Amino acid sequence: MIEARNLAYYYPGEEETSLPALSGINLAVRRGEYLALLGPNGSGKTTLLKLFNALLTPSEGEVWVKGISTVDEDKITEVRRYCGMIFQNPDNQLVATTVEEDIAFGLENLALPSAEIKEKVIDVASLLGLDHLLQQPPHLLSGGEKQRVAIAGVLAMQPHCILMDEPTAMLDPAGRRDVIETVGRLNREQDLAVIHVTHFPEEAVFADRVIILNQGSLVTQGPPEIVFNDLKLLHSLGLQGPAAVELAALLRKDGFDLPSQLIHCRELVNSLCSLERKS
Amino acid sequence: MSRSITLGQYFPGQSMIHCLNPRMKLLSLLLVLVLLFSLQTYLGLATLLLIAIFLIVTTRVPMRYFLRGLRPVLYIAIFALVIYFFFTSGGVVLLRIGFITVESEGVREGIFIILRLISLVFFSLLLTLTTTPLSLTHGLGYFLRPLRYIGLPTEEVAMIMAIALRFIPTLMEESQRLMRAQLSRGADFETGSIFKRAKSLIPLIVPLFVSAFRRADELALAMEARGYRIGATRTRIHEDLIAPRDWAALGMVLGLLVASLVLGL
Amino acid sequence: MFIGTEKLTHTYMPGTPFANEALKEVTFDVKQGEFVLVIGPSGSGKSTLIQHLNGILKPSSGKVYFDGNAIGSDKGELFKLRRRVGLVFQMPEEHFFSETVYDEVAFAPRNLGFDESEVQIRVTSALEEVGLNAETLAERHPFQISAGQKRLVALASVLSLNPEVLILDEPTAGLDSSGRRNLFSLLTRLNRSKGLTVLICTHHLDEVAALADSVLVLHHGRLIFNGLAGEIFSRREQLYELGLGLPAVTEILFGLSEKGMKVRTDIYTLEGARLEINKVKRRHEK
Repeated sequence: MIEARNLAYYYPGEEETSLPALSGINLAVRRGEYLALLGPNGSGKTTLLKLFNALLTPSEGEVWVKGISTVDEDKITEVRRYCGMIFQNPDNQLVATTVEEDIAFGLENLALPSAEIKEKVIDVASLLGLDHLLQQPPHLLSGGEKQRVAIAGVLAMQPHCILMDEPTAMLDPAGRRDVIETVGRLNREQDLAVIHVTHFPEEAVFADRVIILNQGSLVTQGPPEIVFNDLKLLHSLGLQGPAAVELAALLRKDGFDLPSQLIHCRELVNSLCSLERKS
Repeated sequence: MSRSITLGQYFPGQSMIHCLNPRMKLLSLLLVLVLLFSLQTYLGLATLLLIAIFLIVTTRVPMRYFLRGLRPVLYIAIFALVIYFFFTSGGVVLLRIGFITVESEGVREGIFIILRLISLVFFSLLLTLTTTPLSLTHGLGYFLRPLRYIGLPTEEVAMIMAIALRFIPTLMEESQRLMRAQLSRGADFETGSIFKRAKSLIPLIVPLFVSAFRRADELALAMEARGYRIGATRTRIHEDLIAPRDWAALGMVLGLLVASLVLGL
Repeated sequence: MFIGTEKLTHTYMPGTPFANEALKEVTFDVKQGEFVLVIGPSGSGKSTLIQHLNGILKPSSGKVYFDGNAIGSDKGELFKLRRRVGLVFQMPEEHFFSETVYDEVAFAPRNLGFDESEVQIRVTSALEEVGLNAETLAERHPFQISAGQKRLVALASVLSLNPEVLILDEPTAGLDSSGRRNLFSLLTRLNRSKGLTVLICTHHLDEVAALADSVLVLHHGRLIFNGLAGEIFSRREQLYELGLGLPAVTEILFGLSEKGMKVRTDIYTLEGARLEINKVKRRHEK
């Protein structure tokens, strides 16, 4: 569905001087896949996301979205329709004076007829539990609600993939739960592919695939149980694994015989309890 | 905090006037203003004021919002009243206090100006209390569209106004927070000479500008990501349809204007 | 009472249709040298509460105390108060406006009337206190240093007041995990070695739960729990209902305890959890 081939990107003016923001990226995203993208600051995560929805175009290599190349200027709007993007700051992506108008923004850009826009907005609002907030101005919403409005705005355009750049970084725990649950549900029920950039490994444990970037290169990828259990790699990049993985690693050193691909808290709890029963 | 900031004082409702097309309301207001200043009789002005009050009642917006709108013009009104009552001559002398006379012309002009001011405020508020700032902006934008032919980017200007309206409460909240943060660092915005006070604003102005530019950058990216392109055709979720009742309303205002001219009011 | 409030109520926009009672009769008192967490969901009034403690906000009713005296509204008094009670807002690097790090950190002491030689001493020591090299950093432009350094400079710009109390609103928002650990260990050091009374408003309990002496829990403007950290964090269900979560390791220990394992659940660090689970194993082997 999305494909990056030999992708590299240099920020304008930095071609000769510094290291590329991204280099040698080969990646394919399948329909309905939930991808988590992690890496230290400056590793190129945001840049990669922007290359997928043609906000940036490759310096080298190609990006294809549903068979369309992102350098095809005539088809940029289609690419951005297929790949919607949610940003970190909930405030700075809401452009209209009411929730209803903001959800409609993308559809207005597609020049759809007014009646069709109204219908789609109502559908999406009800899917995301925003019906009662449609006439509210954005500054009266909570952080979690604002992000849900942003998701609604993107969803209204019927994308095949949602790109999310640390969408929960500025939210409180309730807001975080709100956004993660909403996106998880959309991924499962609507077969929507998700690429989720995050600093919280806990948010990535339910992903289909975890990708780790460092200094512009793809360091590793694979299912969460495998990638997150490579603590040596994670720590060398300054990253932490999920709490259950970190604790399990320490306990294994102390002689606890725990399964090697454990990542969830309840898996650890269950394993420790069954070890206790055996002894 | 920012809950108080409902820009343009829009008061939600479903009344007849709430539902009129904003463009028609703007045009009607213009005609009413012409009417206001062309009426020359007590009957005419009093009737117009009564019409205003009648319309206010139909909107179901509490009267106190309209009365509050009179407060800023209160001083002008009193000032004008004094000028007209005591310093305009003509007609019959009604009162004499020393060398100051109150004459009937002066009284007449004074009362007229009061009636006009009150009607002016009421009709203007009838517009702003029943129309959202965004609709007003789009309405005005419509009338400015011909300027496109001399190179003015009217669509983009409309977008700029809409974004400004959207962010004013957010920016006000931010500047309040910023002020409190700098106060916590011992800033003092109140004492000292004009120069000192102006200088003390730097810790407010610089961060606000920096943050405003950052917001603009992020917002522009988000807009582009949702398919916004400068110069491309856009539709709107709420069509600006003109219904028969809008024509009827405009017609009635025109009718009033014509009638008052014909009747010599 | 060292720092605290008595029946503090604060209503925003009183008398208008938008009136909002952000704080309702909040009473608490913090002892000198304590490390206190103020937690609660968004909109619970945490920020409103802490802004009373240095006189930025005035109570609608009730009193705010510092060092035995009620805080009044006299300007001179408030200036003196802000020298002793430092408040660091959320994302403080967004409030930068100077051309050099030096000037940014010097802003506060200069405002409070110290002469330039005293200011220099304070700036240098504040920068060093947060672990930054004053010499290399002083002349740099505050917008051109790294994100982690910016946060530390912002902290230094309040520490240059030499306050007795340091109040921080979400001090680790936007930092990565090593940045968070660094900041909390700095705050611990300031609290333990320098005796600074520290109050932190935060959502992220992971790194800080173990450091707290006591915890205040706010909900819809009311102070609903107030007590020692161990006691408050044992109310797991209630905290969850408020949209707050315990550190992940503590959740694991609770999970084990629920399944019948005899583990303590008042442990909030990875190492602590490890030791506790090992203890249980050894107990079994005996």
